[in-house]
Amino acid sequence: MRLQLEPGKAPKVSVRDALHGAALALLMIPASAQAQSAPSDRIDVTSLLYGEQGRTEVVEPVVRFTHLLPDGQSVSAQLAFDVITGASPSGALPSGTVQTRTSASGHVITSKAGQIPVAPFHDERVELEGTWHKPLNRLVSSDLGFHVSREKDYQSLGINAKVSTELMRRLLTVTVGGGVSHDTVFPTGGTPAGLSDGTVVNLGSNAKNVTNVLLGASRIVSRQWLVAVNGTETLERGYLTEPYKVISIMSHVNGTPIGELTDKRPSTRNRSAVLLSSVYHLSDDVLYTSYRYYWDTWSIRSHTIDLKYRHDLGDDSYIEPLLRYYQQSAASFYTVGFVEGATLPDFATSDYRLGRLRTITAGATYSFRPDFAAGEFTVRGQYMRQFGNSSPSNAIGIQRNFDLSPPVNIVAVVLGYSFDY
Amino acid sequence: MQATALSAEREGTNDAPGLRRVDDYFIGEFHAMASPCTLLIDTDDRTEAAKCLAIASAEAIRIEQKFSRYRRDNIVYEINHAEGRPVVVDHETALLINYAATCYVMSDGLFDITSGVLRRVWTFDGGRKVPSRQSVEACLRHVGWPRVEWQNPVLTIPVGMEIDFGGIGKEYAVDRAAALIASRTQSSFVVNFGGDLYTAGLRRDGRTWAIGIDDPGRTGKSALYRLDVPKGGIATSGDARRFVQWRGKRLGHILNPKTGWPVDGAPRSITVFGRTCMEAGTLSTLAYLQGRGARQFLKQQGVQFWIV
Repeated sequence: MRLQLEPGKAPKVSVRDALHGAALALLMIPASAQAQSAPSDRIDVTSLLYGEQGRTEVVEPVVRFTHLLPDGQSVSAQLAFDVITGASPSGALPSGTVQTRTSASGHVITSKAGQIPVAPFHDERVELEGTWHKPLNRLVSSDLGFHVSREKDYQSLGINAKVSTELMRRLLTVTVGGGVSHDTVFPTGGTPAGLSDGTVVNLGSNAKNVTNVLLGASRIVSRQWLVAVNGTETLERGYLTEPYKVISIMSHVNGTPIGELTDKRPSTRNRSAVLLSSVYHLSDDVLYTSYRYYWDTWSIRSHTIDLKYRHDLGDDSYIEPLLRYYQQSAASFYTVGFVEGATLPDFATSDYRLGRLRTITAGATYSFRPDFAAGEFTVRGQYMRQFGNSSPSNAIGIQRNFDLSPPVNIVAVVLGYSFDY
Repeated sequence: MQATALSAEREGTNDAPGLRRVDDYFIGEFHAMASPCTLLIDTDDRTEAAKCLAIASAEAIRIEQKFSRYRRDNIVYEINHAEGRPVVVDHETALLINYAATCYVMSDGLFDITSGVLRRVWTFDGGRKVPSRQSVEACLRHVGWPRVEWQNPVLTIPVGMEIDFGGIGKEYAVDRAAALIASRTQSSFVVNFGGDLYTAGLRRDGRTWAIGIDDPGRTGKSALYRLDVPKGGIATSGDARRFVQWRGKRLGHILNPKTGWPVDGAPRSITVFGRTCMEAGTLSTLAYLQGRGARQFLKQQGVQFWIV
């Protein structure tokens, strides 16, 4: 009887498994060697130190563990812990005299004359992420993931999935994916009504749901060149307002801030982005370039241009300088402040992050494998300078004398160590 | 003629184990089992690379000497020239025979280590000469694993029959060499003995070794696919180099021990990724033996494979 396999009917005993058992007996691999030839695991430890001049400081240690399985599967888990301290612009305008006010968290804040008022804060965030990568067949692979994060006034729970398939003799990879996240916002001291004097309307939590889909393709153009295009669409629904941000009311006489209203943003936001990227291998070095265009239903448009160049310094180290330019337009409801007596719009914010912004980043990564230890060390340094709209057209009176968005200097340092075992 | 002279010269130079640095890893080369053998090792330490290369070549040469059917001083010669007498084999040979017996059962007789005698009448030199029906039938009388008496560790084969580990020896050498190297180094490496290979783990930069599958129509000239596999064995069966032309068809060198004829309708080249090189090699050969059913067979095995 010949082995004629009927379509769709698996043999009673897997040939593969029978062979594997016989091969293992034959290979007589000693236990120690077998342990060493087991799939390698990897641990990455990084620590981010981030500082905005006179504002926020972030310390974020991250530990990532990756376990590789022999059939191409891998599982990884990442635990991150952030400590964020400092002060962030509250959205209020500077005044000619010392200002004092209380924040939602009960702190008393004072600002010097002419200075942008900031709200101090201290927050800690813990995030756990997991990913499971599994090849489904020789050309298709899937990734399943989740994340859980928690901080004093915010919680996020999410799952995501993606499938990649290789086409055209593996020269083209197409990826489709998506994720959902259910977030909860519970502002300290309760949720204030939007565009109000801070009257608390909700002592409980506010829901925010995020759905995103992504579609991407990468293509090997030649032995040296890989190009990719990625599109993402993110839908946010729910409480999208920043409860601690405020908008100043200016005196119509001289622009002096005479009061404040809370921030209020629409409860929907659709965000879209397209990323074009290219990786070009020169004889030894690698040039990475990318351009990203982003737009959303709040009328923010942004452009990001990224340039990286990896240069090997001998066998054990490389350096990778980076240059980035970022520019965004303001949200349609962004305002520097209200003039007293003006009709209030439906939505408004003075959060500088939704205003006109430009950021220039220069930095470098240096990676090396020292003689004294196994594994790879990485040091990444970045300097950013952020520019806003210093003299918005609707500033009046004394506000015209102030730099309403002085450039901010930001330094970020990442120290990393990874090793296989 | 020129090409032949050149390749002979190149093989000659490869006979001496050679180690050289390429980018951020070492390549060691030597010649064994009638094939060019290479070891890629992801280290910056030349001494470590040289040590692993020595292990790989020593193991390849040991297995070749012990199991080659072209030598007169080994166990295979002893078995094949026992003239019907029982032969007591050593533990390693016994396990290899057990493996072959498993292959025979699992392939329902298509994988048979006694089929080597058929090569007496077949010449796979790319020409058009096929043997007569009579000579094939004469050979088939000396083929058939069930006629062999195997009571571990005693093997008795009828007069006129032969056994041949050619179908599994190279893959076995790859796995053995890989296991020995893995017990001596933490570095990621690839053992490649004439296209049968084992890749051990990710490289230091987190990437896999780039392994190409050659276009069978243009051997060694272009890689059709690029494999990204982290750890395991890879082996290819096909008719790239050794074939015979018959009635406009190209028949590869893998013979069906039931008909005595080359397998018909099989793909040009079948590459399989398995947990070991032996698993990959045996599955690619078994798939090839299925002829047109190769793809279906591999799908049912649940392995990664590439068919050209």
